[in-house]
Order: sequence, then C-alpha cells, then structure tokens
Amino acid sequence: MYPIVSITVFLPLLGALLVLLMRKSSPQVAHGIGIATSGATLLGALVMWSRGVNETGFAQVEQIDWMPSIGAAYRVGVDGISLPLVLLTALLFFVTFIYSAKVRKQSHSFVALMLLLLTASIGAFTALDAILFYVFFEVSLVSMYFMIAQWGHEDRQRAALMFFIYTFLGSLPLLLAILGLYLGSDPYTFDMRVWISDPPLDGLAAMLALIAMLITFAVKTPVFPFHTWLPAAHVQAPAAGSVILAGVMLKFGTYGLVRFAYQMTPDAFREAGVVILTFGVVAALYGAFAALAQTDLKRLVAYTSINHMGYIIIGVAVAALATDPAIRATALDGSVLQMVSHGLVTGALFLLVGMLQDRAHTRDMAQFGGLIKVVPVLGWSFVLAAFASLGLPGLAHFPAEFQIFLATLQVEPVAIIAILGIVITAGLYLRAIAQVFLGEVGDKWTAATMPDLNIRELLALAPLLMLIIVLGVAPGWVLDVIHKTTIALPF
Amino acid sequence: MERELALLIPEIIILFTVVFALIAEMLRLPRIALVVTIVGLLLATWQSVLLLGLDTTVFGGTFRIDMLSVWAKIILLPATLLSLLLVRAEIAGSDREGTVYVLVTLVTLASILLAGVGDSMLLVLGVLLSGLASFALVAYPRNDSATEAAMKFFVFGSVTTSVMIFGLSYWFGATGSTLLSELGQLEASPAIAVIGFIAVIIGLGYKASLVPFHFWAPDAYEGAPLSIAAYLSVVPKIGAILAFAQVVRDMPMSTGWPLIIAVVAVLTMTYGYLAALAQKNVVRLLAYSSVAQAGYFLLGVVAVGTSSLALQSLIIFSAAYAAMNLGAFAVVMRVGRTLDSFKGIGRKSHVIGVAMVIFLLSLVGIPPLAGFVGKFLLFGAAIDAGFLWLTVVAILNSVLSLAVYLRIMVPMYQAQSHCHEPDTDANTTAVAPALIKLVWVIALLFTIGIGLAAQLLLRQLG
Repeated sequence: MYPIVSITVFLPLLGALLVLLMRKSSPQVAHGIGIATSGATLLGALVMWSRGVNETGFAQVEQIDWMPSIGAAYRVGVDGISLPLVLLTALLFFVTFIYSAKVRKQSHSFVALMLLLLTASIGAFTALDAILFYVFFEVSLVSMYFMIAQWGHEDRQRAALMFFIYTFLGSLPLLLAILGLYLGSDPYTFDMRVWISDPPLDGLAAMLALIAMLITFAVKTPVFPFHTWLPAAHVQAPAAGSVILAGVMLKFGTYGLVRFAYQMTPDAFREAGVVILTFGVVAALYGAFAALAQTDLKRLVAYTSINHMGYIIIGVAVAALATDPAIRATALDGSVLQMVSHGLVTGALFLLVGMLQDRAHTRDMAQFGGLIKVVPVLGWSFVLAAFASLGLPGLAHFPAEFQIFLATLQVEPVAIIAILGIVITAGLYLRAIAQVFLGEVGDKWTAATMPDLNIRELLALAPLLMLIIVLGVAPGWVLDVIHKTTIALPF
Repeated sequence: MERELALLIPEIIILFTVVFALIAEMLRLPRIALVVTIVGLLLATWQSVLLLGLDTTVFGGTFRIDMLSVWAKIILLPATLLSLLLVRAEIAGSDREGTVYVLVTLVTLASILLAGVGDSMLLVLGVLLSGLASFALVAYPRNDSATEAAMKFFVFGSVTTSVMIFGLSYWFGATGSTLLSELGQLEASPAIAVIGFIAVIIGLGYKASLVPFHFWAPDAYEGAPLSIAAYLSVVPKIGAILAFAQVVRDMPMSTGWPLIIAVVAVLTMTYGYLAALAQKNVVRLLAYSSVAQAGYFLLGVVAVGTSSLALQSLIIFSAAYAAMNLGAFAVVMRVGRTLDSFKGIGRKSHVIGVAMVIFLLSLVGIPPLAGFVGKFLLFGAAIDAGFLWLTVVAILNSVLSLAVYLRIMVPMYQAQSHCHEPDTDANTTAVAPALIKLVWVIALLFTIGIGLAAQLLLRQLG
C-alpha cells in the first residue's frame, strides 16, 4: 500500500516548487500546474476516501521518526472527523484554482502560495502529532497573510496585518497547551493518538490547557468577541482567499475544538460545557444580527459564517454535555457535517460574490437591482447557495443543523434559542436576493457591462452547487463515515 | 598534562591561528591572514567534533569539557567563519584589514573559554579578553559615531566587569576557592551567594546585552561595521549565555537564583521588543531584537539543573540563533541600513525577499524553522522547571516580536516609491556581493535545516 496520505499532503508542495522553478513561463502554465496539482490532490483525497476509516482510532496511519529524543514524529492518518474535511479541502482548492485562472498579477507566486496553503491545510487535518499540527497550522497562517497582503483589495495591508497578528496571538496559547499535554504525558510524547486515548492532564492543569486551547480555536473559528479580524480579512482578501479562508481555514478552529479540546481534555470540557454552549449560542445569534446590518455583500456572507460556526460550537458542547452515547453521536455528526456543508455553501457564495465583483467592481448591495434578468445563471446560482445557507430542507445545511438542534433539544433545551439565528439569516438572505437580483434593472447593468458566467466560472461553481444538493438530499454517504467514528468515541 | 593539552586542542589551534594571522598582518598580507584564520577555524571545529561525548574538566576543574562547551565550539567557530566572510566583503582592501580578522578570532577564543568556564578567574579572563578585542573592533571605522560607540562600550564594559570582580571576591571569601564547582558551599550563606550572583549577572549581562545592561549594544552595532555588528550579536553573546549556564549549574537552589534570572529574562524580552518597535534604522532594530532574543536564552538558563531539556534547548537555540541572526544581518548588508531601503525589495529580487522573510519568521519562532524548534524546547524546559508564568510572558513577547519583524517584512512587499539600488558601499569589490550571498545562503540552509532535522542535533545531545 503506497502512502496515499503523505502523497496527498506533499504533492501540492512539489507543485509549488515546480511553479517556482518555472518562473519564466507564462501565467497560463503556472495556472495549469496549479489546476493539475490540485486535481491530483483531489484524486489523492478520493483514494483516501475509498480506503475509508476504522471502527475505532485512526486509519491509514503513516509514521516516520522525526525527533524521537523528544517524542515527536511525523504521523498522519484520518478518522471519520478529519476525512470529510480532507475531501472538502481538496475540492475547494481545486475549484478555487479553476476560478482564479484569470489572476495575472504575479501569477506564479499566487499559484505557489495557494499550493503551499493546500499542503498546510490537508496537513493540519491529517496530522496526528501535535508539533506537526502546529507546524501546518502556522504555515497556513503565514501563507494566508501573504495572500491577503499581495492580492487583496484596497485596504489589504491593514487587513492582512490584523489577520496575522490576531491569529498568531491566538495560536500561541495552543502552543502552551501542547507543551502542557506533552509534559503531562508519560513517557513524553507528542502523539495525538496517545493524548486522545489516555488524556494526560486532569484537574486544574486540564482546565488551564482547555482554556488555552479554547482561546486559540475561538480566534480561529471565530467566536464573538474574538471575531473582529474576520470581516476585515474577508472583505479585503481576494475571492480565492475568501473561499479558502472561510471554507477551509475556519474549520481549523472547529476541527481543533473537537480534536484537541474535546478529545484531549474531555473532563474539563464537560465541566466547561455550559460556558462553551453559551459562547456558541451568542456566536450564532451575534453573527446573524451583525449580518443583518451589512450593506456590503461580502461582509454579509462573512458574518453568516460566524453564525454557522456558532451552530458547530453548540453541537460540540451539547455532545460533551450529553450522557447518552446516541445523542452525543448525533450532535457530533451534525457538527462535522455542518463543517463540510459550510465549506461548500460559503465557498460557493464567496465565489459568486467574487464573480459579481469582477463584473461590477462593487459589492454594495444598494448599487444592484434586477440582476437576475441580466445574469440569470449567476443569479439562480446565488439564490440556490443562499437558500442552502439559510438552512432550507433538501440543501446541504439542513441535515447538519437538524441533527445539532435535535441533540440540543434533548440535552439543553434552553439553547434552542439559537434557532432564532436561522430565522434571521432567512430574512437577511431574502432581503439580499430581493435587493440584488429582483426588482427593476438599472441602466448601469446590461449584457455588455455584465456578461453571464463563462465556462471557467461555471466549471468552478458546478461541483459545489451539485454537492450542496446531493448533501441535502442524501447526506448518508458522508454521515456514515463520520458516524463510524463518533459512535465509537469512548467519552 | 598531556591529557589536558590534548583536550584543549581546539583552543590551542585558535590561539596559534591568532598568532600566525597577526604575523601575516604585520607582513601586510591580509589575505594570508584571512586564509590562516579560516583554516584554523575549520581545523578547530573538526577537532571539537572529535571531543563530542566527553564530560570532564582540565587544569584542576577550571575549564570544563562537557556537552555545553564542546557544542559551543562546534557552533561558534563556524559562526565566526561566516562572520569573517562578511567582514571580508565589507572591509576588503581597507587599512589594517588583517587586524580585524585577528581581533575577531580573539573574541571567539574568549567566547569559547567562557562557554566552558569552571573557575571564577577564568570567567573574569574571558570577559576581559572578549571585551578588549570588541572595543577595538567597534572603533575600527575611526569615524565619530564608531568612536563614540566604542567609548560607550568601553566605559560600560570596564565598570560592569569591575563590579563583577568585586562580587566574585565575596564568593571567594565564602568558599575559599575560585572554582565554580565549590559554589555548593554557599548554601549556608545565601546573602553572599545572591550578592555574587547579581555581580555575575551584571558582568555577563553586559556581554550578553541583557536589560538593563544593554545600553551599549544599539550604539555599538550602529557605529561598528555591519559585519562586526552581526558578529558581536552572535558569538560573544552566545558565549556569555553559556557561561551563565555553567555558573548556575553549581549554584544551590536555595538561593533562589532561578527567580532572579526569570525577572531579568522578562525585562530583557519585553524591553528589547518594545524598544525595537520604535526604531527606524534596521541595524538598531536588529540590535534591540538581539537584546530580546537574549531573554529567550535565559528561559533555558532558568531550567538548568531542574529540567533535562535545559542544556539541549540552549544548544539548539544557540545554533538556530547564530544561523538566523547572521543571515538577517547579511541581508541587511546587501540591502541597506534603513527601513526605506527595504521598500519593495521582495518584489524586485524574490530570492533575497524570501530569504529575509524566512530569517525574520524564524526569529519570531514560526514553525517549521530553526527558531521555532529552539524556542519550543526553551519553553518546554522552562515549564518543566516550574516557570509556567515565564513561558506565558515569553509567548506574549513572541506576539510583540511579530509586530517588530513585520516592520521590516511589510515594506518589503509594498510598491516601490522610488527606484532604489541595494546599498553598495564605496569600497566593496565585485566579490563582495558573492561573499554576502554565500553567507546568507548557508545561513538559510541552516535556518531551515535545523528546523526540519532537529533530530540530528538532538540525537547527538542525548
């Protein structure tokens, strides 16, 4: 059996080196390498998917000694929580490469940086060694900083700096927690599997480690009041950056919440469950209300991300509070599925906003009107993605949110107040659709100033939209993989 | 006697190198002086590698051949070699060129003596020798700013060294011996132990530029030739820090020395980065950054004796720091001394841009670079020794450091406001850029290599 996980992780890095070696070639060649490499990575992820996960523990584990003297090793592998995220990551990068094939500004550096980001993202989801995870986590941060600072919009320098300092500051408590877990383990090891099967800390030490980890993942997710970097970064980032930032990198926060906080300090997590639940409810409601106040389409989508991430936190907190394993599995299934759905839906939405901005050079909703007559394909695609985002049954978010709320009702009925968020998102999306796509067409937008989607854009969008429907109608094929792991969790 | 001389071969080689280089300089053959020092340094490095694994002392315990001192040689001698290449690139053809090589090698000899110090008199000797040669190096350009910097450096150095000698006399009085291994006797007289210890902090703190004994550093780095600044920020500093580790190894815990070091560490890190934030001159910024980095070293010193990670982390961070700091200075030599000269450099020459970003990110401590591995081990050692709060402060300072280094990184990728050629000093020849490039390429390989292959080092360190 060839080491497919490592191949998938490092293939993009090879692609990045290849692009850098071929600096003199034309931008088309660079984008060609980008699309080909990310396509091959997607294939790798599909092979990983076909190999599947184990009943307990991690599957497809690959391991090489790295720093045996201190118990750190190169260890990668997947379980039902990480495997869907790996597939999502590979897919989102692939479509983003197709969409960004028009980038002409320093296209070689752009492709190389995106490929580096791809390696870091898949690496973070598959890492089974805490140091390795931290390495990938930080590399993604640095690459995203340059992405925003180089290819962003008008106020990009400030937004990139804010993003970098905020999330770097946020990631350092995780380092402390990792050191704490390391020094608590006996014998010393950074093996995450050991930390999960036999949590090294207890009592006050575990609670301190949990608090440190919660800060890191709260910044990354982001949770109110640690979210202020997100709107700035999203609005200024290029469309490709926004898709990756929202679709993939926000998942580091929620994935870390499950993998580190929930699995490595389970008792402390249960004790703090109500507090975490409260943060989730506040995030969900705050994100919805803040989105309601936006006039900038991209900011609106960015704030709804905070709302959707809030549901995931509610789901994980409910899982920790639940005593019945079946309910716990339901809550975690919903949370992980929500990560995947959010990646697809928000990825599609940011792509669409990017396409709209490419044409109109504005994101202000008041400038638009009646666009569905001018650009029907773009318009209907947006309507579909928006309906998915507000949780319409039959589309991707519904099965996820349904499971989360189902578990919440059984465990902590008060928290169901977060469902208000769905009502508000519904209202704000309907308003946005009405303002941008319905009504009278202004003189400004004609078929000449605003052509409909071209082949490249359709190719980028189609896989996401199809999956949004597939996941809404038949989520079973993903849920089975997730459920296999969540039902077997020991706590 | 024979055994002891055999164990001291690297030091003896360096001593003879100094003598031969000086003779070459007297014959007005600076290139021969350079070749002699380079060959001497390589030979001594090779001889040091042969000493790996030993743990013994020579001359009645006054000099230690242990993991710390042998690794200090393996790190500091090649670092000196790289610095000499930078020196050559900067001052080739100028008056008294060979003297600089001689003085640099002399400072290195003092630094490796300090790293293996086992006796308080050897400590004084090391600090004095390294100090005297350093003053002359800083004064080398013979212009106003260099003379002023050297004068400050000299006054500061003489006062702090005298204070240290004064404090050490207390230890001698209490233990009846100048050997550091006798310091255990101070258990009974904690007041004397602390007075002597504070005096040592003052004396070595000035060498390692710890706050509040750092005032000379920014002026000296700015006044001296850039290559000398690069050298002073690496070799004598690491020597002094490792001397600290040698001193505290035998200090009785009851005197509470770790707490004193921890407080100095906090001051050094925080003040260093705060001051760096306000600098407009890249050399001064890097000077304050190297002050702050010294504070991180102290996290390892704090843990000496209580954590098994302490010595490993000190050695790995020394190697990492030498590589990334020399690399950053080499890029500054190529690009220019002001923040303005960095504007747009990353867009114009990609490779230099990427290299500088990697050096700076490594100084911040971003994985998977050398600085991360070093700092990570230092943090681990400090937590293991029960200094969680100190680690938290260090981590908060890492955030501050990001803001500091971003002040160089951000303009590198901004659009150029005006066409700016990399600074090339009037006296540099065509060979200079190639030498500087050689240095930063080597430093880059080590900055990445130590990060990825830390195990190669760790395995050697047991």
